[in-house]
Amino acid sequence: MRFVNTTFLSMLTLLASIMPGCATQIKEPAPSAPAAPIAAEVVAKIPARPEQIDFPPLTFEPPNATDYRHVLSNGVPVYLAPSHEFPLIDVSFTFKGGQYLDSPEMVGLAEATGSMMRRGGTTTMSAEDLDEELDFLAAQAQTFCRAQASGANFNSLSSNFDEGFALFMDMVRNPGFQEDRLQIYKDEVIEAMKERNDEPAPILSREWSMLIFGEDHFEARLATEAMIDAITVDDLHEMHDRIFHPGNLIVAVNGDFEINRMLARLEEAFAGWEAGPPAVDPPAPTATYRPGVYYIEKDIPQGRVAAGMRSISRDDPDYFPALVMNDILGGGGFTSRITQRVRTDEGLAYDARSVFTMPVYYPGFFRAGFQTKSSTVAFGLKIVFEEINRIRTEPVSDDELEVAKNSFIETFPRTFESKAGMLRVFVSDEMTGRDPDFWTNYRDNIRAVTKEQIMNVAQRRLSAGEMAILIVGKWADIVHGDPEGRAAMSMFFNGNSTELPLRDPLTLEPLK
Amino acid sequence: MRCLLPSLLLAALLAGPAAAQQVEAESFVLDNGMEFLLVPRYEEPNNIAAGWLAKVGSVNERPGITGISHFFEHMMFKGTTTIGTSDPQADRELMAQQQAVKTRLNELTWEDQYERWRRGEIDDPFDPANDTPEMKELRTQLNDLIAQHAEVIKSNEYDEIYARLGGSGINAFTSNDVTFFIATVPSNKFELWAWMESDRLNDSVFREFYAEREVVREERRLGIESRPMGLPQEQFEAMFWQSAPYSWPVLGWPSDLQSYTREQAEWYFDTYYRSNNLVGVVVGDFEPDEIKPIITEYFGRLKRGRQDPPPVVTLEMDQSAEKRMYAEGDFSPQTEVRYHTVPFNHADSFALQMMAEILNGRTGRLYKSLVEEKGIASQASAAAIQLGAPWKYAGSFSFNAQVKGEALPEELEAAWYEELERLQEESVPQRELQKVKNQVVADAYRRLERNFMLMIQLGYFEAMGRWEYINEAPGKLTAVNPEDIQRVAQKYFEPTNRAVAIYRREAGAEPVDPELAALPAEAQGMVKQMLTQMERLDLPQLEMALAQMQAQATQVPPEYKASFEYMVKKMKERVLALRAAEEK
Repeated sequence: MRFVNTTFLSMLTLLASIMPGCATQIKEPAPSAPAAPIAAEVVAKIPARPEQIDFPPLTFEPPNATDYRHVLSNGVPVYLAPSHEFPLIDVSFTFKGGQYLDSPEMVGLAEATGSMMRRGGTTTMSAEDLDEELDFLAAQAQTFCRAQASGANFNSLSSNFDEGFALFMDMVRNPGFQEDRLQIYKDEVIEAMKERNDEPAPILSREWSMLIFGEDHFEARLATEAMIDAITVDDLHEMHDRIFHPGNLIVAVNGDFEINRMLARLEEAFAGWEAGPPAVDPPAPTATYRPGVYYIEKDIPQGRVAAGMRSISRDDPDYFPALVMNDILGGGGFTSRITQRVRTDEGLAYDARSVFTMPVYYPGFFRAGFQTKSSTVAFGLKIVFEEINRIRTEPVSDDELEVAKNSFIETFPRTFESKAGMLRVFVSDEMTGRDPDFWTNYRDNIRAVTKEQIMNVAQRRLSAGEMAILIVGKWADIVHGDPEGRAAMSMFFNGNSTELPLRDPLTLEPLK
Repeated sequence: MRCLLPSLLLAALLAGPAAAQQVEAESFVLDNGMEFLLVPRYEEPNNIAAGWLAKVGSVNERPGITGISHFFEHMMFKGTTTIGTSDPQADRELMAQQQAVKTRLNELTWEDQYERWRRGEIDDPFDPANDTPEMKELRTQLNDLIAQHAEVIKSNEYDEIYARLGGSGINAFTSNDVTFFIATVPSNKFELWAWMESDRLNDSVFREFYAEREVVREERRLGIESRPMGLPQEQFEAMFWQSAPYSWPVLGWPSDLQSYTREQAEWYFDTYYRSNNLVGVVVGDFEPDEIKPIITEYFGRLKRGRQDPPPVVTLEMDQSAEKRMYAEGDFSPQTEVRYHTVPFNHADSFALQMMAEILNGRTGRLYKSLVEEKGIASQASAAAIQLGAPWKYAGSFSFNAQVKGEALPEELEAAWYEELERLQEESVPQRELQKVKNQVVADAYRRLERNFMLMIQLGYFEAMGRWEYINEAPGKLTAVNPEDIQRVAQKYFEPTNRAVAIYRREAGAEPVDPELAALPAEAQGMVKQMLTQMERLDLPQLEMALAQMQAQATQVPPEYKASFEYMVKKMKERVLALRAAEEK
């Protein structure tokens, strides 16, 4: 089936090429010589190279969070950044607490709670009426519980803000969790579950989390059909009450408003809203994985590959050296080593890179990844491991270090580019207790990173023998490597490998 | 796409343009014909979003070079005489030598290997394992030349310069109609952008030609061949467009991808990447009077093409019969129904967009009917425009829905026709239309908030025909009245004008039905096979088969009784579902 279409068309093309007078030409008209480039000296003012341009200075100091911070009478912090370019107001509530609060018996409850707050009406208004009103006002409202935090966003024209915002507050404070809407939500989630084994990307990402954090950790665990089925309206209310109260809340508003008027509006909207106990921090994973090669069978023409290990957390002293190290190794796009070798030099993959996550509450992971035709999976891995070894044993070049550091320093202002983006940084920093001087010292800390620190952090945080290699693909075509004999899977972990079974999409039980 | 472009970016373009808001872009044309649009904006300080586009895409291709626009987009990152090599002289010579070898290899492939393949002697004319001795020799020569060339290439220097000086988001994307190159630079580095972009437009050098072709081949494996829906969707596109040059994928057919030559790439550059076919767009923190001289100086040096790009001549034929496709694979059962409609900025396009808005969203008709009332869909939507899809020369309207539970994709199709009939027969109530108009007005502002998004929209609309669309469309959308919607619903949705795709989950790939799993292991395979066969029967055939089964009920041996009952139950369910679908 799969090749019928292309074969048919290429045959037509060939047919056309031998038919006299056929409109479809195969040969290009002889190309006229390309116009000669103009020598740089002819255009007097254009320098020979871009580095020779005399750029005007750009001074930028990061904004100070305290300049935007207010506190409501109930203690809720509020960040306000007015701007009158467009007649829109954008409100963002961030709550501490998220999917990590789910019990192991009912994974999926927090996510359901976040989604159902928006979909289930309020205690005094039906879901249908609420949706209709919000849509008529052209307001946008979202509520959600993510892995580590939860939120509620509202965006509307400033002209009818008060009306829509009242509906939004009712939704956040007094959700209705209408029963028939809960059933629709459950059906939708279960339909999506059925697709868990369809695409290779989600299979890899699910098994990666399970491997690296352990199946019981909240970053890895997934709901089953039975868990979703069991959710009741009472469960939703209970989870809502744990997360969505002022004790967990930080507010950010940007757009077309006056500061005092907005503060008064928020005071009024929050009146009588009682704070509960603040949510605990997300728990660290306790499981450990066994280094080695793991694969999951899937009949596709490409192997999808991840290789990595646990990393460090955000407040680790290695933060800045690790940031620069990974940028050079595989995080910096086309200027990084893994992309250069796997993609540009060898043409093995469209997307080849590495990430080094440093989350707030516990160590994250290093992961190098790419997708390539089955026969070159081993060759791609060989290159990745060569590069990991190289950055551990040889200092990076002056050029590489300069490019990486400059890139962080020069793009630094983009962090605060939009008002909404700036407020997101402030809220996240306050919620996670980031060092208040972090952004003030950011560029100096990047500048201070040395080649020795990079090699040192690579030696301590990357080790071929401690890595897990995970592959989704057709193992029989992958294992022997490429016909040129450049690499085979026997090069890794003495050729030992473990097959991970696919899981039943609804029960997550191993299949076969 | 050179990198994976966030689909959000294109999605945000879709909702349909602004009402009261006017974007005051300053538009001017250089002596060489290159057009520029400038929008100074100070709400996002210290940065400039800049891009340029060539009015070319896969629609300008033909069989034999399909995918070359996209491949060409990749080649534009390979540097110039100044950027990307340590030895321009050796660089040039080695590329010429590679080209000579590759030309001969191509000739042998298209003549001898294709001939052998047509006779059935080899399975793949492009597989090096099937090379003749002469081809093997040539391939070795080519690889040697590529290895020598690597010594004088400063690979990815283009990206390195941007990274070192503060450029970010250096990327590009290709669609059926346009190829767009984008960047963000600090506000003091506008001249860097002008230097880098005018340099590669003035003097691009297509290095690493053959390795990059492999990258694109992997891009195709990643985006299409490794995804269960990839190939069926590609086939649906090819089925939907008959004569318009929209039927091949932007990534190209694999045989063409393996055949492009450097000559073709140079011809393409000379035809479509000359100043008279280019538009630059700059949005952000700058003073127009300060950057205009820079633009004139740098981009003013570009040469006009010797001739204007050839027009796209072939129009889509009127469809004369319904088209229909059934696909099975690892995907949820779903349905697409698509109709030929109108291109960009057509007088009827606004009513069609409003019709889609009436159908979409949580309070839209499709969700209410298919998801809430009938409970047969887990999601349902309509689209009058598909960004990144054909739009400049022809357009389409599509309905998409995914089933819930045991519903059949055919039921979704039937439910869609019901909603369509309502739009054809009844006028849309004023309040319902007003709700959608309110959203058009608010969304129009929302879409202008970010420099980058504004830059993309201005460029995209200008490539389609006119950037002023961003200001004009909202008024036209809010002027649509119920009669307009009824008229377009009647005009464009004849059954002969549609193509239908029915997607079913491949038997076996489906999550295991607990009842089926409880049957004896040896019976399960047989039952599954019978279920698959059953799906191919139409209603009368199925009813007959069911009657025959039931007539034999008493003769079933006890060990097969459970399996037999399960089959009968499934057949009854299927009969009911087909009857329901037929009634609609």
